[in-house]
Amino acid sequence: MIFLQQVVNGLAQGGIYSLIAIGWTTVFGIVGVMNWTHGEIYMIGGFAGYFLCRAGVPLVPALILSMLLGAGSAMLVDELGYKPLRKKNKLAAGGFITALGLSTFLRYSANAAFSPDPRAYPTMLEYRMINILTVGGESLTISSLHLTILAGAAIVMVALELFIRRTLTGKAMLAASQDMQTLALMGADPEKLIKVTFAISGALGACAGVFVGLIYAINPSMGALAGLKGWSVAILGGIGSITGSMIGGLLLGIGENLTAGFISTGYKDAISFVIMMLVLLIKPTGFLGFKFEEKV
Amino acid sequence: MSGDTETRSKSLPVRAFTAIRSSMRSEWLFGLSGRTSFFLASAFIAVYCWIDVLLPTRLIPTYHKHILVNALIYAILALALNFVSGYIGQTSLGHAAFFGIGAYVTALMVLAGINFWLTIPVAAVTAAVMSIPMAAAAQRVRGSFLVVITYGFGEVLRYVCINIEAIGASSGLPGIRQPTIFGVKLNKMGPSGKEGYIVLTFLIVCLIAFFMTRVEKSRTGYAFHAIREDEIAALAMGIPVSRYKMLAIMISAFLSGVAGSIQAAFASFVSPELYASTQSILILTIVIVGGKRSIKGAILGAVIMSVLPEVFHSFQQVFKLPFDPWMILYGLILVVMMRFLPQGFWGRGE
Repeated sequence: MIFLQQVVNGLAQGGIYSLIAIGWTTVFGIVGVMNWTHGEIYMIGGFAGYFLCRAGVPLVPALILSMLLGAGSAMLVDELGYKPLRKKNKLAAGGFITALGLSTFLRYSANAAFSPDPRAYPTMLEYRMINILTVGGESLTISSLHLTILAGAAIVMVALELFIRRTLTGKAMLAASQDMQTLALMGADPEKLIKVTFAISGALGACAGVFVGLIYAINPSMGALAGLKGWSVAILGGIGSITGSMIGGLLLGIGENLTAGFISTGYKDAISFVIMMLVLLIKPTGFLGFKFEEKV
Repeated sequence: MSGDTETRSKSLPVRAFTAIRSSMRSEWLFGLSGRTSFFLASAFIAVYCWIDVLLPTRLIPTYHKHILVNALIYAILALALNFVSGYIGQTSLGHAAFFGIGAYVTALMVLAGINFWLTIPVAAVTAAVMSIPMAAAAQRVRGSFLVVITYGFGEVLRYVCINIEAIGASSGLPGIRQPTIFGVKLNKMGPSGKEGYIVLTFLIVCLIAFFMTRVEKSRTGYAFHAIREDEIAALAMGIPVSRYKMLAIMISAFLSGVAGSIQAAFASFVSPELYASTQSILILTIVIVGGKRSIKGAILGAVIMSVLPEVFHSFQQVFKLPFDPWMILYGLILVVMMRFLPQGFWGRGE
């Protein structure tokens, strides 16, 4: 029962990881750059949500506004950071370092603007424990906050899946992740698609930031670790696969909680890196990813 | 042809001496001839260290000398990283791991009563052995994926060090005894106590710089070049790519371990913060700013990246800023460098 309880406790965190991971995986699949600033977009989302909630905006509008801000920030990052490199065809060589620099810049600017102290959201939701089932006097519970986050993450992911499967833009994104050049020949505008991709990635990152703010304190450097964990999840699920990221996120959330519960809380954060390294070494394509063929 | 047989007939020490003498003339340190730049730099170091003995007042504050030692330790690390980032063209964000391993091995051995100078090779070899998993990873993945593996490698080691009580957990290991040369403690060799370290790190930097110029002109160096330009083509040419990649990573880790050893003695303290990813990022930044595969770039980059934070730190104190402006600028430097000067200040074009 304790085991099951730990699994349930990990679900909400897992949903948050899934959201972050989808942001990584879409950008990497389509633009081919490891967008290291994603963790910082997540942090910006968390802070936007914090200030909106403090100002008395209800949770759902605050979430949507934060997501819009996250989408805008991600598009701005692309416009100022990656687009000039893409124009000069130097994205492969300089994209990662640029991302690293932008991420440092954003993190420490936030540090300067918001002070490094942790902050907690005002109470947005009533906190109570919900009983899932009772077996032999022991009960399995989930808190209302965790349940809301899990439901919210599920709604966002279903909406994204529908967008990709049902709309023309979404289908174009799917095609772009396989072959951008051919897609451009078919008359799609790559720049526009890249912007949409960054917007989606940023919105999901910001959404994860707001969700995390509901259960934990936020601070300007929270993006560093969470961003990397998102990337681990993206690798675990297979780069380019949205479904893979969803499953990977839940697995990591559960895995972390089990590690904390049964091994040691000190190794909780290390587990994601261990998982990531093992996956990359044993099965670099992850669960559901496709293979990147090397062309000579 | 005749010259070839002539050198071959000479004994090995004589040949080695001739080779070293001729290559000392090449531009291995600062673009001048190797000997000239080495002697100029040595003279500068000597004056910088001991001018205070001759003068009635303190000309160079202890703090400046402290920064120079830091800069030289980072120069060792940047030169070491050049074997991975410069020679085989992969990015590593985990070099702080080897730095940390070197420092911890030295710390533990010195605390156990072993002579510091004996711990340096042990620390370096341990770091090199510990790099085998990373080298194995580099056989299977590269680019962005290798970056995260190296990053994760450093972070995992940091968590391991934080969680093991026997090696001091998060508070680290203090009280590492000062190493001695002929009975003189390394921190008692000059007016400020930093001189011994300046000379030691300077000599190691020169040694590595010399080693690197020799490697570049060797069969190994050409193999690295081929791998960097096109791995598949290199494989097709019959170059054992995986062996050379492993070699580059292990040399790199070995040298980082040496830097860690010196850091442990210099600070007489080690902590899990040595493994921090910010350290790895700083080392990579030095290589990027200075320019890949540029010895001059690595040394000058290390000096710049050690001096600038101090300058901005004093700004912060003068203007009473509540935050450190350096880190913000630091991110911007990377972005601007990549956009306008991707080969770094002293780098060589592809």
